[in-house]
Amino acid sequence: MIEIDHISKSYNKGAVRAVDDLTLTVPSGEIFGFLGPNGAGKTTTIKMIVGILKPDSGTIRIAGLDNRAEALRCKAMTAYVPDEPEIYERLKGIEYLNFMGDVYGVSGGERRSRVEHWLGAFELSRAVADPIQTYSHGMRQKIILTAALMVKPRVLVLDEPMVGLDPRSSHLLKEAMREHCDGGGTLFFSTHIMEVAERLCDRLAIIHKGRLAACGTMNELRDLAKDKASLENIFLELTES
Amino acid sequence: MSPTAALIKAALNSNFGWSVVRHRLFVQKRDRWMVPLIALAVVGVVPTMVLYVHLLGAAFDMLKSLGQEKALLTLAVLAGQLIILVFGLFYLIATFYFSRDLEYLVALPLKPSQIMLSKFAVVLINEYLTMAPIILPALIVYGVKKNGGPGYWIIMPLTYLLLPVIPLAAAGLVVVGMMRLVNFGRKKDLLIIIGSLVLIAASLFLQFGLSRAAGTSGLDAQAIIALIGSPDGLVQTIGRRFPPAIWATRLLHDGLLTVSGFTGFALFAGLSILLFGGLMAGAQRYFFGGLVGLSERSGVRVRGGKALTIRFSSGRHPVRAIFRREVRLMNRTPIFLLNGVLGVIMIPIVLALTLSSSKQGSDSADILRLMTSAKPVTGILVTTMFMIVCATLGGVASSSFSREGRKFWISKIIPVDYRQQVLAKFLHSMAIALLGIGSALAVLVFRFHLGAWQWLSSLALALPVTAFINSLNLTVDLARPLLDWISPQKAMKQNLNVLIAMLLDLGFLFLYGLAFIALGRSGLSLAVVIGILAALGVGLACLAYALVRQFALRRYPSIET
Repeated sequence: MIEIDHISKSYNKGAVRAVDDLTLTVPSGEIFGFLGPNGAGKTTTIKMIVGILKPDSGTIRIAGLDNRAEALRCKAMTAYVPDEPEIYERLKGIEYLNFMGDVYGVSGGERRSRVEHWLGAFELSRAVADPIQTYSHGMRQKIILTAALMVKPRVLVLDEPMVGLDPRSSHLLKEAMREHCDGGGTLFFSTHIMEVAERLCDRLAIIHKGRLAACGTMNELRDLAKDKASLENIFLELTES
Repeated sequence: MSPTAALIKAALNSNFGWSVVRHRLFVQKRDRWMVPLIALAVVGVVPTMVLYVHLLGAAFDMLKSLGQEKALLTLAVLAGQLIILVFGLFYLIATFYFSRDLEYLVALPLKPSQIMLSKFAVVLINEYLTMAPIILPALIVYGVKKNGGPGYWIIMPLTYLLLPVIPLAAAGLVVVGMMRLVNFGRKKDLLIIIGSLVLIAASLFLQFGLSRAAGTSGLDAQAIIALIGSPDGLVQTIGRRFPPAIWATRLLHDGLLTVSGFTGFALFAGLSILLFGGLMAGAQRYFFGGLVGLSERSGVRVRGGKALTIRFSSGRHPVRAIFRREVRLMNRTPIFLLNGVLGVIMIPIVLALTLSSSKQGSDSADILRLMTSAKPVTGILVTTMFMIVCATLGGVASSSFSREGRKFWISKIIPVDYRQQVLAKFLHSMAIALLGIGSALAVLVFRFHLGAWQWLSSLALALPVTAFINSLNLTVDLARPLLDWISPQKAMKQNLNVLIAMLLDLGFLFLYGLAFIALGRSGLSLAVVIGILAALGVGLACLAYALVRQFALRRYPSIET
């Protein structure tokens, strides 16, 4: 579903190579965890997948479509949750959801049932009529997640989605992620929480200094490391400079 | 470095973006094309400055022949301080209360007065830059023409440095008081807007008072002779409602070593220190109160009982959805609303009020009517230009992309064609422009009693040109959107794109005016002239809109946030 083919991205006219010749494939129905130390290139990769950044070289395909040549079709089947919940603070929560519903073409009936479900689950029903500027970090994160789940996309791309969420919401999100992939969707997400990645992901990739350090199922990663006790140990071993 | 000095240094660096500019130019080696562009813009201003200096020289000569050359200094000081008082208000509100860095600063072990001082320094230095092209030439022309000795050239910069302190500190005191008072309850944004409007009205009232004070139209011949007979006559007349202008004039003209000059300095500097001290004391007491009020949650959540009824829309067209987003974001951000929407509505009204406040106000309408009947082309040119300027001076189109700031990522990920996104922004800019045109039209019809034929002709000409200018201004902002701002003021009034667009607009309007006059003199009938210009306007508007749509396809993907 997501095919990343030899993409590279550098900043400062090539002085900083954020992503270096990265190749990955994430099939449908898979929860794919993307791990790496700070500054390893996770967010840059994610932003290239959703079209915020343009790769210097290489291609990214979503459901077989080039995400630059067929940008609109790719965007229509992808929803993205950023690591920083920077959204229109002057809109009310419901206005933001309606805006996203309108631009993604979600019908009125579907919009109502999905939004009511997720607002209830995230305990946002009463806050949704308030301006977003009055929300806490976690509430902003939840409203962005609600918008993404309302769209019911084929591909969900989440950048550190658990940050700022309370345990209950975090649990609900993990269930939603599983459900999304069981229904044939694809999920690509980055996280620093090793336990979540270990328990939730079908496959994992570890990126270090812009290059792919390892990729595979949990068992395959264990084979690559000497200390196989936990994903944290494997991660530390593979990202040692 | 002391905490205050470090804070001021960081605030200035953040505001002017020195580190970012250095990084972009010398490390990333990006945006180097901006250097020649800025140089070109500066060179473009030179002819206007030369003309201005000539006018000042002529004004000096004329005043000198009456023995009243000192009045040039009084006028310069008065003009500078009024500009700061009126235009500094929004800036103070935005910098003191809407900067995004405030929430971090409040948490630091700093006194409110230290934070306020750093913000005041930012505003002060910006005001020095804003005033420079208007006030400095007047002070320099006076010094050169008067053969001011070394004393003048030492005192002149000192006076220039002191100049903005009195109006800024006075306005700052009012703003701090107002923000403390209005920052409670649910409708604080509305209260801020109303409070700002009241402040603007008060400033205008002051301005009218001063302009009446400076006016000589009510004087009879004897009074004019008496006024000219005294060397300080005109200075006193101009500055009597605003004595600091007289004090500064004495300081500059007489020098520090005379009793009159020293007294002027003592009073000028003394009042500056007093007001500045008052502002710092006020800040220490009330600044955090106003600030905390702003960051408190204003929404009313229903904690118990039934949940609020949620209004779901049912599949609006994406262009309509983006247009609504633009309207909401602009109308709900006080700084955007004040600068963008209320600005275009108020400017024509202010003009009408200004003319009404003048004792010759009724004559202005007569002059316009006379001009229209004698030279209809000139009359229509004037009213058309008036409508266009009123419609486009808010900087709405030239800050359209910049206003999205760090939320621009949303525009990149939504599945909406970039051309449709530009269409929504164009429609929003046009909607605001129509408010400006409507306001201008109301002034022309009700204040100047313009005939239907003339205002309809002007409207037919102004609408397509406004559409052209809005497309042009959207292109300027799209070429280099300013997305990383901490104060919304920075996205509009301090946005270089707004200035670049304004210079381009003025250049275009100059050429348009020349074409208008040339066609008027060609012997063609007025109806044909208007027809040709309207067709030209429509053609240019279509071309510019088509270009900005195509540019969006190329530019959007390369804007990285």
